[in-house]
Amino acid sequence: MTTPTTAVEAAVAAVRAHFAGKPVEVLPDGAGGATLIVDDIDLGDRYTPRTSWLGFHISAAYPHADIYPHYIARVARVDGQPHGQAVQPVDWNGRVALQLSRRSPGWNPANDNAALKAEKVIAWLTKA
Amino acid sequence: MAHQGVNPPAPGWSLTAPPRLWADLEAHLFRDDGDEHGAVILAGHTDGPRGHRLLARELLIAEDGVDYVAGTTGYRALRPEFVRDAALRARAERLAYLAVHNHFGTTSVCFSPIDLDSHERGYPALRKITKQIVGGLVFTPNAGAGDLWLPDGSRDTLSEVVVPGGNLLRLAASPVPAEASDGRHDRQARLFGDRGQQAFTRMRVAVVGLGGIGSIVTELLARLGVGHLVLIDADTIDETNLPRLVAADVDDVDARKTELAARNARRANPAIDLTVINEDVQHPDARQAIAACDWIFLAADTNAARYWVDRTVHQYLIPATQAGVKIPVNETGVIGRVHVAVRQLIPGNGCMWCNKLIDPTELALDMLPNRVREQARYVDDVPAPSVIALNSVAAAEAVNHFMLAVTNLHTDDDEHSLLRFPRSGQQVPQQSRRDTACGTCSEHGVLARGASE
Repeated sequence: MTTPTTAVEAAVAAVRAHFAGKPVEVLPDGAGGATLIVDDIDLGDRYTPRTSWLGFHISAAYPHADIYPHYIARVARVDGQPHGQAVQPVDWNGRVALQLSRRSPGWNPANDNAALKAEKVIAWLTKA
Repeated sequence: MAHQGVNPPAPGWSLTAPPRLWADLEAHLFRDDGDEHGAVILAGHTDGPRGHRLLARELLIAEDGVDYVAGTTGYRALRPEFVRDAALRARAERLAYLAVHNHFGTTSVCFSPIDLDSHERGYPALRKITKQIVGGLVFTPNAGAGDLWLPDGSRDTLSEVVVPGGNLLRLAASPVPAEASDGRHDRQARLFGDRGQQAFTRMRVAVVGLGGIGSIVTELLARLGVGHLVLIDADTIDETNLPRLVAADVDDVDARKTELAARNARRANPAIDLTVINEDVQHPDARQAIAACDWIFLAADTNAARYWVDRTVHQYLIPATQAGVKIPVNETGVIGRVHVAVRQLIPGNGCMWCNKLIDPTELALDMLPNRVREQARYVDDVPAPSVIALNSVAAAEAVNHFMLAVTNLHTDDDEHSLLRFPRSGQQVPQQSRRDTACGTCSEHGVLARGASE
């Protein structure tokens, strides 16, 4: 069992700071990374329910590796329209979920990080 | 004959220097002025296949007359302020402090009584200040010796200095005596020399990926006489693999690829030592295993395999060779530029990030726990074309490079990476790019950090 790397621990701390006040569950993957679940994420008034958890994996290869994909609860659009192609219904770690596939082709470990990527994914979803 | 100069790997402490750092040190020490020059190497450390390894991370050149001055008891000495600054950096960065100077001669070297007296006067205090390994190194152009003072209070000598460039140089205090090769390797020992053949026997080599290319690489390495192979693959054999795996038959379907590779290696060389890891290379056990090898063959084409092998090359200063075949065929059946790629991964000489060969998102996907990886991809992978004859070109090219590097038979110390286009017969040499601020292959990153990262 390998504990999370220094970079992953720092990323977990940064995510906690970024989502201050929201519960953050951390599940080490045994290989130097960890899966995070942030609760009480506000998805805005276009989704029902409007709050969800947000889950993602920070791997032992972080910060070189992107954070991809992200997961939220199986919410529906208020306007009844289907989700786009990058939003897929899945079961994730025993949770009924939507998988959000947002790649970062220009990911740069010097500038990008797990907290910023989570924020970008939420912003993309709530404005999509 | 070049092979007369090869020293087989030696047990005990070693120092590995990236070729770039070694070239700077050589240029500083071995000039035409007939004088002695000095420097300090700051080094990471780790465990290796035959003992502890020091990993040269940074070279601090002592400027003649400023930092390297007339000594009070010896001919020359490092100025106390230079020593202090270097020692404080060693302590802060948890690196070994190694003072370097040159002697005159060629293939043998040893410390003078004056050198050893100065070690005994200075190194106990320096060890106390730094709380790290401290020591002295002395070089001639073809020999190196070291006197190491360890944090536990003990003292040891350095067995060898390794420079993993185009040729894999091993400097010892004096040439290692040759042992006669065993009869079965007589024909190849006529090329490599007895010491070259012995070098293979003492090496631990990892093969990452035991598919079409790794299977052939394993066969070639075992038959060359490599003493210890680390075989890494999580896959099992399916029917479509059979035409490309050495000595595979229908009974091997559903068996592990490591099982077949181990069987072949033992058949080729019954005395071989094997470490078998039935995991992908991103698994912690595999990462740990490749960090304790002399050479790594990268024959798996995932981004995670590239990432972890590449990182190991630079963090632990272990040379590697990547071998691959690309057969692009689009949806309409049009065949693109079929090519064989063999890339030499030289510690500190430009990594896969510098050369944009790793996709950060694909790396994230590869690193997902197995149970979620497949659904996260959500697009079905179409198997790429793969042909044994093309794979054999990549495997042979990669192992030939290894073989010539280990026995110092390359005619130059340059990078030997290439692309070969079998349909046209064209061959294009490749040169790695290097970002001087890279977080992987420069001193701004994990270069030579070893286990202290």
